[in-house]
Amino acid sequence: MSTTLERPALTSTRKVAPAKGDRTLIRGQVRAGWALLTPALLHSGIFIVVPVIAVLVLSLTDYSFGDSFGWVGFTNYTDLFRDPNFLASLWHTVLYAIVVIPISMAISLAVAIGLNQKIRGLGFFRTAFYIPTVTATVAVATIWLWIYNPGSGLANGFLSLFGFAPNRWLADPGTALPSLMVVGIWQGLGTKIIIYLAALQGVSRDLLESAQLDGAGRWQKFRNVTWPAIGPVQFFVLITSIVGTFQVFDLVYVMTQGGPGSSTRVLVMDIYQNAFQNLKLGYASAETVIMMIVIAIFIAAGRLLQKADTND
Amino acid sequence: MRPVRRGVGLTVLAAALSVLVSSCGNGVIDKNTDGVPPAEATGTLRVLIPSFPPSTKGRDAFQKVVDDFQKTYPKMKVEPDFATYKNLNEKLSTSIAAGIPYDVVVTGVGWIQPFASKRIFEDLGKYGVTPDVIKEKSTAALIPAATYDGKLYAYPLIADARAVALRKSAFLEAGLDPDKPPTSLAEIKVAAEKLTKRDKSGNITRSGFDLASATGFRQSFVTFLASTGTPLYVKGEPNFDNKAGLDTLLWIKSMINNVQPYGQTNAAQQPLVLTGEAAMGIVNGGVDCSADGIGQKNCDDLKFFRFNSGKEIEYVGGDLASIGSRSRHKEAAWSFIQTLTKPATLDAIAKLNKKVPAYKDAGNSPAAKSNPLSQFVADGLVYAANENEVPANWLEMRGNFDIQLTQAVLGQKDPAKVLHNLAGQSR
Repeated sequence: MSTTLERPALTSTRKVAPAKGDRTLIRGQVRAGWALLTPALLHSGIFIVVPVIAVLVLSLTDYSFGDSFGWVGFTNYTDLFRDPNFLASLWHTVLYAIVVIPISMAISLAVAIGLNQKIRGLGFFRTAFYIPTVTATVAVATIWLWIYNPGSGLANGFLSLFGFAPNRWLADPGTALPSLMVVGIWQGLGTKIIIYLAALQGVSRDLLESAQLDGAGRWQKFRNVTWPAIGPVQFFVLITSIVGTFQVFDLVYVMTQGGPGSSTRVLVMDIYQNAFQNLKLGYASAETVIMMIVIAIFIAAGRLLQKADTND
Repeated sequence: MRPVRRGVGLTVLAAALSVLVSSCGNGVIDKNTDGVPPAEATGTLRVLIPSFPPSTKGRDAFQKVVDDFQKTYPKMKVEPDFATYKNLNEKLSTSIAAGIPYDVVVTGVGWIQPFASKRIFEDLGKYGVTPDVIKEKSTAALIPAATYDGKLYAYPLIADARAVALRKSAFLEAGLDPDKPPTSLAEIKVAAEKLTKRDKSGNITRSGFDLASATGFRQSFVTFLASTGTPLYVKGEPNFDNKAGLDTLLWIKSMINNVQPYGQTNAAQQPLVLTGEAAMGIVNGGVDCSADGIGQKNCDDLKFFRFNSGKEIEYVGGDLASIGSRSRHKEAAWSFIQTLTKPATLDAIAKLNKKVPAYKDAGNSPAAKSNPLSQFVADGLVYAANENEVPANWLEMRGNFDIQLTQAVLGQKDPAKVLHNLAGQSR
């Protein structure tokens, strides 16, 4: 009954015209809303919608920076799934994401929990963990190139302390991608740690104290209070990590150029090389569309795993 | 009233956007100067050129060319982009995408045909330079590389020739005769194995032969294959998916991690035989025998020779200057290329790059006479070999060769299948 009572009220709102003063106010609010939205809409239109449409259109062409181009339908897409470079790049990127994301999130959370304690030198540790994030990737990669140098690098020097034989690291197809993953994990820690730290500091003290009063141990407090409380942040870190790992490029470009062979070739590198070295912009656009789809699938999977709040 | 007002609003917005877009466009693109007397032509000539190193010496040498050019085009500015071969395509493609194409573009062997087929370069026949005309002026080795569909699309600047060098002392130490250098692939392998030095753990401490393939095996494969008398492509058709191709690839595979570790290079990117890190190996077209370079003693320890597994060859690349087809200053660009190809300028470029000028009779050039290696490669330009007549998708194939040959050499893929794949991908 209550529903039937409310409906006429809503209908009557539509039928009964607001007073003149109200109309002016509503119109003013609408105008103000559009005025405030305009910069964001323009930005989204010019820098997101137009490029996405352009990529979708280009992916159906054979455009290669020449004077002319033709429509090729879905040929670029079918060719991609026969292209060993693309398939290798896709596999390496997915593998990179699957390994780097959970490990870096776990390490970051562990470090953030450590940094959330009252320990000496907290400021130093926080700064130290954040430095790799603010350091240029080219500089980071150069340092790691030296670390991985098979002849005089720190990595082999460290292994030799334990009597292990030297490794060829980036020069060996079997260890090149894992070596890059280590750098990726290390470099991505800083941002995640800062986010986790902020989330941990926002966990309700009252809830933690209540749990303690109820006799909960450290693990139980973490599992039943802290973990649910940082859920939305976990989801945010997961999404940004998925996007970040799928877009890995500079590290690979500087350290291995995708080699040896195609052992470390990743999607963005393949897109870049097809577009700007092989001048196959149509083909690279199709690759970009597929990358967007794969990222969307990963994010959807992440949402399911995290059982995220989907109020957005 | 409301629809009218909305229409006015949209019109104003569209007008503002169009003004913005058009102002962006007109701000960087010069007016066309073709047909304008050189003394009156104004604008900026954009030059993409990997031939001058971006050092002070390189910039000074380039400025001399600009000064000379501006005697004819006094009001024209010149904006150089000292690219490298590694980022040449990126520069070129992004300039086209951005709508500010280069007027003069210097590329290398293998670039002309793909770009000419996309009509990115201008036919130099419009300026009276055809393959027949250039024969009288330039080294013959680079003319096929500058030609597409019977037309000339680039003017050769310098030749980047490669020879083989051996260390006499290393040969004598290994009981080999440096006066009888191994020239065939089979002989080189035997000698290289004797010349390779290892530590107690079996790690190579001095390579027996430097294949100069740290970043990829494409050029070395082309070179070794050509030495068997088999060019990589014939009239754009693959010529490597055969016994000669497979034998060559298997030979490379048998050399890597046997006489040279995979990926070996040095910080200075110098040929390893010049620094003593290899006993024998591929060298570029020049060596500095002065105290600032490797020194006279080291130079005297070197002997140069060419590959010959049935055909004596010398790999020859080079710098080739073209006019961008979207240039608004084509006549000025041609004038700049004419300035760039004056013998004195070519000598200067050759000296800066330790290469030889691409003019006829390069053997008598100052660059050739400046050191024994340049003299050797300049005299050997008649043995020139390179990728030959590449297919239209060569820019893509360059990368494919580097990746897939490496996979075959490192045992990740079957060599025969790799060659078959590469032949199938060439079109």
